[in-house]
Amino acid sequence: MIQQRFPKPQESSTAGLLTRLSAEPPDGRLVFGDERVVDFLDTVSRRLLAPTLTRSHPELAALGFFLRRSRLRRLLSDLANRPAEVRVPRGLVFHIPPANVASLLVYPWALSMLAGNANVVRLPTRGSETTEPLLELLCECAEDAAPAVSHSQSVVAYGRDEEVTAALSAACRLRVLWGGDRTVQELRRFQLGPDVRDLAMADRCSLCAISARSWLAASSSEREDVVEGFYNDAYWYGQAACASPLTVCWIGSPAQAEAARRDFSDRLEAVVAKREPRIEPEIAIQKRVATYGLAAEGDVEAIRHVSNALAIVSLAPGRLLDRWSGTGTFGLATFASLLDLVPLITTRHQTMGYFGLSRAELVSFVEALGGRGIDRLVPIGEALAFEPVWDGYDLVHEFSKLVTVR
Amino acid sequence: MTTTLRGGRFTLSQPEREAKLLPELAELTAHHYASCAPYARILAAMDESPRRDYAHCRDLPWLPVRLFKHHTFKSVPDAEVFTTVTSSGTTGDASRIYLDRAAASMQQRALSETLRTVIGSHRLPMLIADSSATVARGGTHSTRGAAILGMMMYGKNHTFLLDADDQVDLPAVRAFLAAHGERPFLVFGFTYLIWSRLHPVLVQEGLDLSQGVLVHTGGWKKLADRAVSAQEFRRGLELCGLRRVHDFYGMAEQIGTVFLQGPDTHDLYCPDFADVIIRDPQTWREAPVGTPGVIEVLSTLPRSYPGHVLLTEDLGVVHGIDDGEWPGKRFSVLGRLPRAEARGCSDAVGTP
Repeated sequence: MIQQRFPKPQESSTAGLLTRLSAEPPDGRLVFGDERVVDFLDTVSRRLLAPTLTRSHPELAALGFFLRRSRLRRLLSDLANRPAEVRVPRGLVFHIPPANVASLLVYPWALSMLAGNANVVRLPTRGSETTEPLLELLCECAEDAAPAVSHSQSVVAYGRDEEVTAALSAACRLRVLWGGDRTVQELRRFQLGPDVRDLAMADRCSLCAISARSWLAASSSEREDVVEGFYNDAYWYGQAACASPLTVCWIGSPAQAEAARRDFSDRLEAVVAKREPRIEPEIAIQKRVATYGLAAEGDVEAIRHVSNALAIVSLAPGRLLDRWSGTGTFGLATFASLLDLVPLITTRHQTMGYFGLSRAELVSFVEALGGRGIDRLVPIGEALAFEPVWDGYDLVHEFSKLVTVR
Repeated sequence: MTTTLRGGRFTLSQPEREAKLLPELAELTAHHYASCAPYARILAAMDESPRRDYAHCRDLPWLPVRLFKHHTFKSVPDAEVFTTVTSSGTTGDASRIYLDRAAASMQQRALSETLRTVIGSHRLPMLIADSSATVARGGTHSTRGAAILGMMMYGKNHTFLLDADDQVDLPAVRAFLAAHGERPFLVFGFTYLIWSRLHPVLVQEGLDLSQGVLVHTGGWKKLADRAVSAQEFRRGLELCGLRRVHDFYGMAEQIGTVFLQGPDTHDLYCPDFADVIIRDPQTWREAPVGTPGVIEVLSTLPRSYPGHVLLTEDLGVVHGIDDGEWPGKRFSVLGRLPRAEARGCSDAVGTP
């Protein structure tokens, strides 16, 4: 049995669920860019931006802004530049979102809905505290939604039940997998139709690049803002989000980089002391295990455990910190030029936050990488902002199909 | 070699212990720094190179015990490794501890000296609350198997409570008690097996274990889950005549060093070559008496690998210093540090 959690809580069989999702609703099936979806998402957006909610769950405010009517319209018009093709929905999309980042339940689902698809979203078995209020809000909005929306969308929860996963995988026209490498590989066992594929978002890691010269030239308040933004990028999800920075790369001469690194570390120390992130003792020990392990292997030159919340490691030349090492563990590295970083980048690298680097420098860096890694270069402080292009995929494009009409 | 083994007795007051251990542990820190490159790299990265004079044992640099699960540390050349001890932890990764001939014999001597405090110097007939299959199956590769093998050296006429199918072998137990039950004998087992397998048999069959000395280990977690306290455990066994009961606390990463329960209370004590420090998990400074924290274990035994000062992932509390049945600190183990919840998008649903 499946516990349906959206549009309203009820029990359902897998077959019953699939029948409902494929049935023709009284007001007609969804189309690509359907106004009924835009209306629904805009209602959700306004509810998410209610001050009481954003105060207790700040991550939902970002989702609220993302789902505003104007933003959705812009997104759709960006895709409307192919006169020889008609964009249509793909069909049923099966989403398996990551645990504990509640808003990631909604972002890809909303975009797929916008493409006109029927969707089944599997709820993580261990949700975050934000999941329940979010689902409640979505169900309330569904009551006033057009039947075509509520009939074609479903959020479900079920325990370890391979038959359900297998049936949903076999029935869908696109499967969206999020999770660690192991989870993704495990889910791949469940066969898709022969012409169906996965959109898989597996383990990734992220970093920052800062021009040492720009840093030293920046005003104190500007540096302060960047460090605040860095703090949010890093600590919001315990530094375990794929887009959270692990290494800070300093671009410049050794002397400039040294001065900039020290200033950055001092400011970060002050912000961490002010914000007081809660670090469980087990995580604090994990940080010792990880950093001492790096030292044992010769990957770091110096380790400074400022507090349980902050460990700063000076990486040995040619090394990056590519593995989560406990919340608030940062590698520092120095490179003479951004291009010196190219050989160290792999396909696992996702987001690079930056400060003080010109667009021309960033573009030539991306061109030098030749697609090998790094999917996003964004100013420090915006690493966690979900974007319609994620992991190199234009999601609405992926969620829709192009039909040639010539 | 300046490290001496003055026996696993429980004789040193805290000031005497600190005065004896500090120079020996400092010497070990310098020895491992010189002999174990990964250890030296850690201390160098932490700016903790062993040049300065340490004022107290609490100033000595410690390694987190979990580090031994992921990295190889040895302070002897490969050719001199005599035996490797493997521990399976709760997470499934195993620590590997390397002993040369000298270290292997020293840890054995230390352990027997320590245990003699409670079981005397003669080998006693021994009842093991486990199955012979655990030893045959596990041997040195499982913690339980290794602990049983280690303890079997201190007994004779070994008899197992459980048969190869994990069923209570009542005839064997009866035969053991008929032959040896009138004189002191040793009972050994893991705490939860003592309670879940041995204790019910004692109650049902009314067996007389009044001459027995029970030594048990393995922690209280499984019993705590069943809401059985250390007090209840002792009282339950006492009702069956088993009054001499000693829990011990130890780990593969500091093999040979066991912290032993005193004769009458529930508190653990440190043998003369070892000590514990309870650390505040926020500041990592030493916690005052009575305040729980993370247990650091110190022992002068580890010379072939840098395990002389280790931070465990167990919570404990020191109840008093030089005010108990034996001198030194008396402490309790309160259980494992609570596991932290994983966060972030790289941690997914996990179940198909």
